[in-house]
Amino acid sequence: MYHSWWFTLLLTLLSINVFACTVKQIPRIIKLTFPRKNKFDENVFGSSQINKTVQCKGGVSDVEEKAVSLLKSFVSLSTQAEKNDKDIFFFEKGRYSRIGMIFIHFSILLILTGGLIGAIWGFNGQMNIIEGEVANVITLFDRSGVKKLGFDVHCDSFKVDFYKTGQPKEYRTDLTILEKGKPIISKAIRVNHPLIYKGLKFCQATYGIANAGNFRIIARNNKSNTETVLTLKMMKKVSLPNSGSSFAIAKFSANNRVFGPAVLGVLIEPGEKHDIFWLFKDNEQLKSDFSFIFKDFDRRYYSGIQVSRDPGVPLVWAGCILILIGFIMSFFLIHTRVWLRILDVKDGCEVKIAASTSKNRKSFEEKLEKFAMKLQSLS
Amino acid sequence: MNDTFIISIVTFIYFFAAFTYLISFIFNKKSVAVMALVLTGSGIAAQTAAIIIRWVHSYQLGIGHAPLSNLYESITFFSWSIIFVYLLMTKRYKSNLIGALANFFAFILLAFASLSEGIECQIQPLIPALQSNWLTIHVISSFFAYACFAISFGASILYIIKLRLRGSAIDILPEPKFLDEVIYKMISTGFILLTLGIITGAAWADHAWGRYWGWDPKETWSLITWLIYASFLHARLVGGWKGMRMSLISIFGFAAVIFTYLGVNYILSGLHSYL
Repeated sequence: MYHSWWFTLLLTLLSINVFACTVKQIPRIIKLTFPRKNKFDENVFGSSQINKTVQCKGGVSDVEEKAVSLLKSFVSLSTQAEKNDKDIFFFEKGRYSRIGMIFIHFSILLILTGGLIGAIWGFNGQMNIIEGEVANVITLFDRSGVKKLGFDVHCDSFKVDFYKTGQPKEYRTDLTILEKGKPIISKAIRVNHPLIYKGLKFCQATYGIANAGNFRIIARNNKSNTETVLTLKMMKKVSLPNSGSSFAIAKFSANNRVFGPAVLGVLIEPGEKHDIFWLFKDNEQLKSDFSFIFKDFDRRYYSGIQVSRDPGVPLVWAGCILILIGFIMSFFLIHTRVWLRILDVKDGCEVKIAASTSKNRKSFEEKLEKFAMKLQSLS
Repeated sequence: MNDTFIISIVTFIYFFAAFTYLISFIFNKKSVAVMALVLTGSGIAAQTAAIIIRWVHSYQLGIGHAPLSNLYESITFFSWSIIFVYLLMTKRYKSNLIGALANFFAFILLAFASLSEGIECQIQPLIPALQSNWLTIHVISSFFAYACFAISFGASILYIIKLRLRGSAIDILPEPKFLDEVIYKMISTGFILLTLGIITGAAWADHAWGRYWGWDPKETWSLITWLIYASFLHARLVGGWKGMRMSLISIFGFAAVIFTYLGVNYILSGLHSYL
């Protein structure tokens, strides 16, 4: 489904949409972030989002000092106030808040581009290597055939460990990369610990038993009370001790009916029909005068290794980091500006306040209100 | 002490906290609200202790890992996150009714974890795919996101009740404007955390499965959830939507959260079969 034309079309349309909407917003954001207007414009007083006038007693310089330090504590402005020759104070915080929005949308385009690059130039497939053998071809998952790697991958060994509970604990393949027969790099790969070579990622994906032999079976003659350990090869008849009967293994199953490894045993007794039965590992089976226990066997595993290459990945990660930066900027930065102007009037002075904020206007207004009251009560 | 035993006690503490919050809300008694807050605080303290005990216990068993690896542990952590987010939220947004809802959600989750037949509460060893440093950060960011969405869901339900029903009982519900702000704040915080959860999940998948995105049901549904909440934020920030329509998107989004969390595992099969 995800490679179908309509899905690609939808993704493309979404990208165009995101791109167009972001570009459309850029001029407005630039204008708000980098205003051309003089920041000490006298007209801000009375024409801003929030406007106030406070009457104070005391001299201009005294009130100035108080107002500046008070404002900082009330609206938590860490920046230093700027002052011009007309005695206008200007505070600003979180100016780049709106740039975050551009980052977020641009990062989505980066991620989608990374995905597109991966879809065009990347591939993903699997190779099964038997222990002690090499492979250099992978079968691609999208059924587009096979791909030659251009070097050999040698499987030194494969191991699987289980917890006491029977759950898998570790799958581990020791790999060696060979270039023209010469070993270049050796590494044990496990789930979550891939090998990366020439931009290719080798991940532990699956495993299985490639071939099995030397089946060790304990055969007990209950009549004569004797026990022998037989080492059998596939389809090779072995005679059982103190009897005229013999035993052979006809088949091996690595995981028979999900109960684990089992062999198909054949008991051949003179004058009787062959008795054919499944012998599960470590389970005892009684057959005529004998009991059989399948103890152990030699095995060779194959390790299934997923091999992938995705040149789009760096772009995707860059997009992921950028989107988080964008979120932090646009959600945690608030663009606030406050102007103060202290004018000399009869019986004291007049403090003019103008302010604007990009977010949480109500709580900001409340803070400014408290500031104004405090300023008035102080002087 | 056994951690599952503590959890069963915590289940009741959350229930009583929810009940006490409800009482304090109905009778508008400040002293009862303080009691409810103390109950909630002791509930989360005991639950934190249970989580730590389980963590330590797993090391004693020789299969040490953070208790975030199966359904029982994830449900426990989900309920913990809801209470944690609620307590953080009370710094700015105080509402006894939302407190009652948060505790009620936490109670329901824990009750489900202990009573449901199919949920194994034993400490299990980590299967190879889960043995990664990404586990903790991926799970924590995802469940904190879920917790924010759960609270916004609760506030949305209240919002709709407030607007649709009339009567003196409805009058004491929180102001629509307040609920609207809680919904928005919770969703914007949850959205960042969900994004972080998806990104850490992708980084992990790239390491474990050899690709960062493979349209696995869990991945697809997390994207659907992300898109729903993205549409919420766009509707509000660009479209200027408010109120009822936002509450409906928020409820819709939370349904997607639940499906991403549980539905995907029960109904669809994929690589993400542990929760």
